[in-house]
Amino acid sequence: MASGSRPLFGEQQRFMLLLVLPAGLLMLLFQVVPIVIGANASFRDWALYNPKKVWVGLAHYQAVITDPAFLEVVLPNTFLFMVVSVLGALALGLALALLLNRPFRGQKLVQTVLLVPLMVAPVIAAIMMRWMFNDQFGIVNAVLEGLGFEGQPWLVERWTAFGVILLTDIWLWTPWYTLLLLAGLQSLPREPFEAAEIDGTSTWRVFTHLTVPMLRPVIVVCVVIRAIDAFRTFDIVWTLTGGGPGRSTELFSLYAYVLAFLNLDLGRGSAAAMIGGLIILVVGVVLYRVTDRIAKA
Amino acid sequence: MAMVRQPMLFANLPLGVRRLLFGLAIVGICFLFAFPVLWLILTSLRPESGVYYVHRGTEFTLGNFAEVFQDERVVEAFANSAVIATLATFFSLLVTVSSGYMLSRFKGPVSSTWFGTIYIFRCVPYISWVIPLYFVAQSWGLYDTYVGLLLPHIAVHICFFSWLMKGFFDGIDPSMEHAALIDGCTRWGAFLRVALPSAIPAIAALGVLCWLFTWNEFLFALILTGNRVPVITVVMAQFVTEMGLRWNLMAATAVMALVPAFLLALFGQKYVIRGLRL
Amino acid sequence: MLRRALLAAAAVLAAGTAQAQVKELRIGYQPSPIQDASIAMFESWGAKKGIKIVKVPNSYGVYVEKMTASLTSNSDQYDVIWHNDDWGQLWAHLLEPTDDIEALKYAEKWGMDKVVFGNAQGQNTVVPMGQTFSVFFYRSDLVKPEEVPKTLAGLVETSKKLQAAGKVKFGYVGGMAMNHSWFSWLWSMWANNCDVLAPPYERDNKKLAANGWKSMMTEPCMKETVEYWWDAINTHKISPRGMPAYDRNEANAIFMGGDAAFTVADTLWWGTFNDPAKSKMAGKIAAARFPLGPNRKDPFAWDDIWGWAIPKSISPERKALAKEMLAAMMVDKEGQMKMFKATGAPPPNTTFWPEISAADPFMKLLKESVLDSPHKVRGAYYFANWPAVHKAFNDTVTKAVTGKREDIAKVLAEGAPSVSKAAQ
Repeated sequence: MASGSRPLFGEQQRFMLLLVLPAGLLMLLFQVVPIVIGANASFRDWALYNPKKVWVGLAHYQAVITDPAFLEVVLPNTFLFMVVSVLGALALGLALALLLNRPFRGQKLVQTVLLVPLMVAPVIAAIMMRWMFNDQFGIVNAVLEGLGFEGQPWLVERWTAFGVILLTDIWLWTPWYTLLLLAGLQSLPREPFEAAEIDGTSTWRVFTHLTVPMLRPVIVVCVVIRAIDAFRTFDIVWTLTGGGPGRSTELFSLYAYVLAFLNLDLGRGSAAAMIGGLIILVVGVVLYRVTDRIAKA
Repeated sequence: MAMVRQPMLFANLPLGVRRLLFGLAIVGICFLFAFPVLWLILTSLRPESGVYYVHRGTEFTLGNFAEVFQDERVVEAFANSAVIATLATFFSLLVTVSSGYMLSRFKGPVSSTWFGTIYIFRCVPYISWVIPLYFVAQSWGLYDTYVGLLLPHIAVHICFFSWLMKGFFDGIDPSMEHAALIDGCTRWGAFLRVALPSAIPAIAALGVLCWLFTWNEFLFALILTGNRVPVITVVMAQFVTEMGLRWNLMAATAVMALVPAFLLALFGQKYVIRGLRL
Repeated sequence: MLRRALLAAAAVLAAGTAQAQVKELRIGYQPSPIQDASIAMFESWGAKKGIKIVKVPNSYGVYVEKMTASLTSNSDQYDVIWHNDDWGQLWAHLLEPTDDIEALKYAEKWGMDKVVFGNAQGQNTVVPMGQTFSVFFYRSDLVKPEEVPKTLAGLVETSKKLQAAGKVKFGYVGGMAMNHSWFSWLWSMWANNCDVLAPPYERDNKKLAANGWKSMMTEPCMKETVEYWWDAINTHKISPRGMPAYDRNEANAIFMGGDAAFTVADTLWWGTFNDPAKSKMAGKIAAARFPLGPNRKDPFAWDDIWGWAIPKSISPERKALAKEMLAAMMVDKEGQMKMFKATGAPPPNTTFWPEISAADPFMKLLKESVLDSPHKVRGAYYFANWPAVHKAFNDTVTKAVTGKREDIAKVLAEGAPSVSKAAQ
């Protein structure tokens, strides 16, 4: 609004800085400082039990990016997880938002039920899921066997284990998409939709040519923010499979966690986390551009 | 998407049948969605001997709840969690509403630097900074204190919420603020008296979500508390020991923790949907 | 002048009283029946001495991380902390030597070995809390004591017989996932003259290093062990197909639910297994020695301790008081008897063992087959990289047992370098 050449210049800058000061200060103390300490540790021989803190340069980074497990298992798994989780929850969230956007009896109740995953702590939900998918006492196999199918050992095979992880993650995050998209849908102007109805445009065409483009800003935010979070997903995977069987469902954050928390190698673990952070930084920017363009088209 | 196409696919069916199918589909979806939580509730009502084979046997008991409530730490933890979630929500909104407003209303180096900063720090994984955060909290004497638990919970929301707040303010026409400025209102006045009231629905929506996030947060609480500030998630985590998991007690605590979250979501969803318009 | 002297005197006095007035001891621990029973002894000592015992429970998931961070940052958060053989060497340099606690002469020597808890100066750094190790549990309503399988092959045979007769769904169930390897992988390996690193059962880091931290992945005994479990799961079907992903909770739930005839679990589970409130099979469970593999003739016993330790960084007065408390715990007969009753863990003072064993058949079994056994095995390795080695080991054998049978040797050979590398 105000341009820089006005006499208000100094006052405007002050106003801007004051607006971000509390947030900036808190972030500096509790996010920037620890992250800088972590980043510093990533260049040093810094075992948690024996912090020598000797400078080792890029040795930890080199060790991580030359680790075949990191390149061939962890990164592909992480990207796969990110894509399926984000798209899955987006599709489901959009479907549910469209459902809730039309009036029907019990709409209120259905809406409440669909928000249930938001209410439970993700770690608890993950433990519950793990027991539900246990091949012996799990309810999933009990139901399958009751229906005459064979129960599966869900968590010992790579893709079924991955499926359980994705199911849990999508279940946990769908309400979040539903809320944002439903709010977006309800704020859309009526006129274009009424015009389309008069023209006799098919529902599908209205959806792809009107609804989705108009929801673009919401979808972009959903996709980008959730992609960043999905890339860092940790607790539910750790609880459900611990990255197993073998290391077949290991994600990037588990890789870093094992280094820093299990092996107590803060240096190497921080280096892995920094590498992951850099990757998602770039991916986030690219995603933002791409989703924005796709939604615009 | 199935919901969108459904009217086309079943267009030739009579209305009553269509309604029935629609109803059944909705009941099915709701059941599947709520199932893990329903199962958790059922689990919490089983005696310890039947807590894994939930579907085998018909003994039910409130004993788990009674046992959990005997521990006075649990009651204390509920109070602590509620206080921390509420304060964290209040302060998170307080600091991000102004930061989001700045991002929305000003362009230029300060604004883009701040946006870049929050984006970059959003990308750094928790794993790399919870251990340093423990060191920091300890050396500042904040470990295992209310403040030491509260402040990081506020800090962690800054990136995301500033971003969303920016979106909310982007959707509010700034011409009213211009008018107020011309009328001799200060910048603070324009922000607080003109822009802020229009953003109230959005802030309320974010408040509900923030409260739920903080209420259910595990990792910070585990790292940053000892015995002086027990919070509910930490108490839950303490049912996991070297010798195994007290799943019956954990489930009972989790179900109790569900109640406030459920009430908030029940009464708050209206505001969330009304407010979350980007 | 006078004023300054008075001030100095006051300062000295204040310091003196501050030091003498250690009124509380802070215990960092993890809630579990055995630790609760041990702390109960601290509390009864504290009640007599007028010292307040402050209990600071820590969650399992972050115990080692937080405690390690606390020890290295020299904060005096705790005066006494729970200590475990697994991280004996990890913390040895951060802990106060405990050799001057005289009551340690009553402790069992194997568990407190220098290999596990000794620091670089050869001083001991632990005070025992109790013995913790696993035994082979079986369903006494299905199997008579003399019928309990003595060999791994016998375990398959007996299991198949029980399953064929429709008496039980599975023969054996036990944890196999990471950090629960003990309850299937490790014991069955030890039963077959096999181990994670060569030579088997060696825990002296110098000898392991001299051997190049060689893993035993490519040894025939390892292939036999993995094939044994592969067959148990897929061919003989005496174990559930989901077992490679089980942690101890899942395995114990199945055992207590009555769906398995045999399991391996920590003796601390004895109380739980036989508690009707917690287990459907209460009163139908007994314990025995481990079955042996084809390569081993002598029975073996796994024996470790849990303990208490004192951080090096606390003040001398606190150290002295903490030692006094731990010494009192070592000779607290009543408290130790209660501990055994509540948990099934042999208490730290060996002189109480004969009396418990005379009165309790479970302790008699533990004493004969484990505590007095000449063939003992240590449950972990004692170098800082052990968690990394353990994970590399577990990942490899899990991959092998969940793959094709003919690929087992190949998968093990591929995984072997990762285990050795993790150790270095």
